[in-house]
Amino acid sequence: MNARLNAADRVLRLPPRFPAPRAWWICFGFALSLLGLFLASVAWLFGHGPGIWGNNIPVGWGFPIANYIWWLGIGHAGTLISAMLLLMGQGWRNSLNRFAEAMTLFAVTCAGLYPILHLGRPWLFYWMAPYFNTMNVWPQFKSPLTWDFFAVLTYLIVSTLFWYIGIIPDLAAARDRARKMRWKIFFGLGALGWRGQATHWARWQQAYRLTAAIAVPLVVSVHSEISLLFAAGPVPGWVSTVFPPYFVLGAAFSGFAVVSMLTVWLRWMLGLHTLVTLRHLNMLGCLLLATGMMTAYGYAAEMFTAAYAGGKEAETLFDRFVGPYAWSYWGAILFNFVPLQLLWWRRWRVRPILLFLIGLSATIGMWMERYMLLVSSLYRDWLESSTGTFHPTFWDWSLFAGTIGLFLTLFLLFVRFLPVISAFEVREEAVDG
Amino acid sequence: MSGPPDLTALRSLTGKRFWRALDELVDQPDFRVRMSAAFPALASGPGDWRRRDILKCLGGALALAGLDGCERAPDQDAMPFVEQPEGAEPGVARFYATAVEMDGVAQPVIGKTREGRPVKLEGNGDHPASRGATDAFTQAALLDLYDPARSTAPLHRGQPTSWARFETALAALRGELDGRQGEGFRLLTARVGSPTLRRQIETMLDRWPQACWHVHAPVSDAGAGERLRLDRAHAIISFDADLLGPGPRQLWHATGWGARRRAFQAGEGDATLFVAEPSPTITGVTATGRLVAAAARMGTLMKALAVELGVRAGTPLRLGSTERNWVKRAAAALKRNAGRGLVVAGSEQPPALHALARAIDQRLGNLEVTRTVAAPAARQQALDMAALAGDIRAGDVQSVFLLEVNPCYSAPSLAPLLARVPMRIHAGLHADESAAAAHWHLPMPHLLESWSDGRAADGSAVLMQPLVRPWLQVRSRHALLEALMGGDRADRDIVRETWADALDEEGWTRALVSGIIAGGEPAAASPPGAEPPPVQELPSEGLSLLIRPDPTIWDGRFASNPWLQELPKPLTKITWGNAIHLSPALARERELASGDLVRLSVGSRSVTGPVWIVPGQERRTLLVHLGHGRSRGGPVAQKVGFDSYPLVNARGEVRLEKIEGREEVATTQHHFAMEGDEFIRFVDTLADALPPEPPRANFFSAQKSSPAWGMAIDLDLCIGCNACVVACVAENNIPMVGREQVAKGREMHWLRVDRYYEGSPDEPSQAFQPVPCMHCEDAPCEMGCPVNAAVHSPEGLNLQVYNRCIGTRTCSAYCPYKVRRFNWFDLTAKDPPELRAVRNPEVSVRGRGVMEKCTYCIQRISAARITAKKEDRAIREGEVMTACQAACPTQAIMFGDISDATSGVSRRKASGRDYDLLPETNTRPRTTYQARIRGGEGKS
Repeated sequence: MNARLNAADRVLRLPPRFPAPRAWWICFGFALSLLGLFLASVAWLFGHGPGIWGNNIPVGWGFPIANYIWWLGIGHAGTLISAMLLLMGQGWRNSLNRFAEAMTLFAVTCAGLYPILHLGRPWLFYWMAPYFNTMNVWPQFKSPLTWDFFAVLTYLIVSTLFWYIGIIPDLAAARDRARKMRWKIFFGLGALGWRGQATHWARWQQAYRLTAAIAVPLVVSVHSEISLLFAAGPVPGWVSTVFPPYFVLGAAFSGFAVVSMLTVWLRWMLGLHTLVTLRHLNMLGCLLLATGMMTAYGYAAEMFTAAYAGGKEAETLFDRFVGPYAWSYWGAILFNFVPLQLLWWRRWRVRPILLFLIGLSATIGMWMERYMLLVSSLYRDWLESSTGTFHPTFWDWSLFAGTIGLFLTLFLLFVRFLPVISAFEVREEAVDG
Repeated sequence: MSGPPDLTALRSLTGKRFWRALDELVDQPDFRVRMSAAFPALASGPGDWRRRDILKCLGGALALAGLDGCERAPDQDAMPFVEQPEGAEPGVARFYATAVEMDGVAQPVIGKTREGRPVKLEGNGDHPASRGATDAFTQAALLDLYDPARSTAPLHRGQPTSWARFETALAALRGELDGRQGEGFRLLTARVGSPTLRRQIETMLDRWPQACWHVHAPVSDAGAGERLRLDRAHAIISFDADLLGPGPRQLWHATGWGARRRAFQAGEGDATLFVAEPSPTITGVTATGRLVAAAARMGTLMKALAVELGVRAGTPLRLGSTERNWVKRAAAALKRNAGRGLVVAGSEQPPALHALARAIDQRLGNLEVTRTVAAPAARQQALDMAALAGDIRAGDVQSVFLLEVNPCYSAPSLAPLLARVPMRIHAGLHADESAAAAHWHLPMPHLLESWSDGRAADGSAVLMQPLVRPWLQVRSRHALLEALMGGDRADRDIVRETWADALDEEGWTRALVSGIIAGGEPAAASPPGAEPPPVQELPSEGLSLLIRPDPTIWDGRFASNPWLQELPKPLTKITWGNAIHLSPALARERELASGDLVRLSVGSRSVTGPVWIVPGQERRTLLVHLGHGRSRGGPVAQKVGFDSYPLVNARGEVRLEKIEGREEVATTQHHFAMEGDEFIRFVDTLADALPPEPPRANFFSAQKSSPAWGMAIDLDLCIGCNACVVACVAENNIPMVGREQVAKGREMHWLRVDRYYEGSPDEPSQAFQPVPCMHCEDAPCEMGCPVNAAVHSPEGLNLQVYNRCIGTRTCSAYCPYKVRRFNWFDLTAKDPPELRAVRNPEVSVRGRGVMEKCTYCIQRISAARITAKKEDRAIREGEVMTACQAACPTQAIMFGDISDATSGVSRRKASGRDYDLLPETNTRPRTTYQARIRGGEGKS
């Protein structure tokens, strides 16, 4: 009991007395160099236009949209872990929720940038928003893209609020423990004058739970909405009612995979063994397995509906098995579901390195799935004459690597300057428990 | 130094001067001559500028610069005429009847100019050789006029010079030739169709009897003396003759075929076309009976046909079962249509075959009906290139004038010989390979900016008048020959003189206005009735190689025209280059895939290039296209494809060796097999109709408005000639993207012609399908756009609002027909001023990041609507013609108001052959197709 209490205190002291500055600087240097690549790619893109990518007609959407869906999916796990488990009273989530939420925030940031960068005229992206204008034109409300815009924006706002409301008490505690003036000011500004009064706590409880209650359905609605980007188009391989649940489950799966990786990494780097215990790894393994198997069911359901529909749908399905993009289909199956099967046994679930590797595998697998769904449907849709393959260019890859850099940079700054684990909740759990 | 310096002259000099030699100080004329011989670059600038003169001019230019702002018309919308010149109405297009020429055959056009700039060519509807239609080359001729790579000023030994200097040199040459009666002078021209040019050449030969005139035509044209009336031919049998294919007579033949086929559809007689050919052509694709046969088999096949028809007595020949079947069917069709049939041999086939074809026609009574013979056009007949080569070898040629020909590229064997001629003059549009090898290069105007005349494919004469005054230092072919003879009359007067007898002043004006010279057709001579020589049966062992002109850049003359370079070849859809075509069977045998590099050698000569597998090609036949691999002629022409001219006339065994590597061939279509889909539908006979489509549930009711625009494309009439594609490019300011971007799948054509085959790749059934925007009533693209950039007009047009488009590309992803095109880069901002001038001012030029697509030529609809409103009436049937429809030689494309049941387009859509493309998508397209009819036999 004392060990956990002490550990919770230690979390608050992490920013001023960072335990692993060397490892952090190495990671941060790597992240910054990728961020540099991101800036270079964006500059090149704005200078020349989307033609720097491999996109063409018929594959007018390429990496940007596939990566957008992938990043947004990753974000969902954070919300699920913190909001859903909070509402369900699962106390063990307290060791994971803070950085999982941060991950959500940064993943949504990366995701949100992509549809804007992807535009032919990105400087006019705000035309998707319904605002009063002299042109007297509104967005087109039948378009899934309009709703995408709302969905991502809503999700970003709610995730930010939820994360920030959650961190306020810890910021106050860190402010009180800080010795140096600059840390006091830094944490003090963020704590919004929190003094730990009972009324503060009561209001906080209301606000936090209310936001959580808003956030949980958003996970389902946002990714369902994203799936309509595909499902609303009359494209064989896209136009299927299975897409919304299939996308939500896949999103949760990829998100838990990334959470597993981050957990193992932070636990090792910051020495959080007392806070993030084998129990947590075990729970993560279970979640990963459950969502992974649900995703597998989505695959089966999609395959069945396509085969049952016949015609072009079945042709596309068959083409995914043996066509030029078969590597992405079988890659998705292999990376998503084969290593996952180890998680049926507890002794594999509690091996940090193994969990990390399985998480990595699922992350890659889910990326391949997004790529496969997009490219293998578009490159050969209706007319044989319009068949055309897509090949990513250097700039496709560089922008993708760049967004990973953006994510890592933000995440590392978070790790360095803010309490990575919800100290007060751990403390509350320890005291109550 | 030549002797001692002139001391008196030296002493008389005063003032400060710098000098390098005493001679220079004295500045004697003979010193200048020696100086210019030794250092041409130093001495002969245009007009020998001195420092003081330059400073004077500089001062003058500065003083006059202020005037510049008052005078120049800005290139946008302002027209600062204080007093408007008579006839110049800003914003109103003016039309002139003129013609462009290809291989000596004039293509009558109406040129549209806006603010003095020619912006579009349409066929001359009143002219029988055009009937309002054009071919792809004619449409693209407009861009040739504006080609930034055209040569701008005369060159002497590669250095810019002035016309005055050339005239001095020419005067010297004329003096010499007058003394020797023209001995040693050779004029080398392309095929001459212009009566004026012929007259000038004859005048020259009269004055200099010892001079010779040679014609260089890289593409053979055996049928030049004949006129084929396809509109009267109910049964056509072609032996390797690409009648409907690209070439100077394509338009004439295709309009004729279209007229015949439409008459057949209306129940008047047959329209059968039997084609035996070694490599697929658009004629073969259009044929009602196609036979794959080696070029060497044509003699045997035609003989068998002659025997079958009883024209020739003889024993039955050894034919395969497919061949025998084809010959029998062809013979039956000819017999059925005796007196209105036509047998044609390809221009690559030997003269004996042409004679036999004529004999068959004569026996069946087809002569004078479907085939007339043109009268010889001139007293003087030109000599060929072999004669010129022989004379040069013998040392008999002292000077040669290359007029509008490029033999250094298209006759590689002549190039080294030409270098032996002491005086070489070249005149042409571009500083090409021959210009580089000549002493003098003289830039010429494009035909759209000069006075001339010519003969159309039907034999009638047409006048050419300039649409615009030349802006470069150019002289026309007539002016050059006039200058050679020492005259200095204006081009118009030279042309007028030719027609002095035939046309009085009123007739001349009428001919200029209408573009037609009435009664200009020379009388046809009676056909020769002699027994044709025996047809040799050629051995068909090993591989055989066909060398044919390129379907889009012809013999290389259009290589600097990006509209034609990027135009997909009708059958392979290759752009920006050529390939070695081979049959699927040979590819299997040699383990070659499309794009593999091979070395193709004939005897000791060889070329290297990628192979391309062509379904329907004869097993052992290889085919290469001419016209590529140019080393000069502008940035567009160079570094595209490989040059096949070295293989022309090469003798020896044809060999094909695979070499290391692959080359990406930029094609616009990658999959050609229909694979069980029904994109192109067929009915067997005229009486058949397509099975009715099952009704499909739709949430929305059908759109109703008046007018409601729609299009009907009759695939039975479409021959895949690409005229519509280039017409669309010219009308709608469609940017060209280049080879690399085409290879990436980013071509911008709003209208494409898909080609499919069905059945075995060795002997497939093939068809073309033009695909513009379908203007769906329930358009998925409109649903996808988040910003309302894809919207529907009340008249049923599916519109794209460029200003509103932010480039999400959702519309393209959702479009089942993939007709939308995206501006991946800024494709237009860097266009040079010439290419800006060619743009149609009525169509927006699209910027970066914007989606675009076919608009049904909305600018033409608007123009018609404005006219109709002014006159307070509805838009009339036929008043709006889309650019593709206007260009189509067979009238396969029809556009109009579908709310009017009597309109042409409604009648077509009511036919039993009408169908929607991809009905399963339930988009209710406004563009529909009419199924192809497999047979060609009418009601008997």
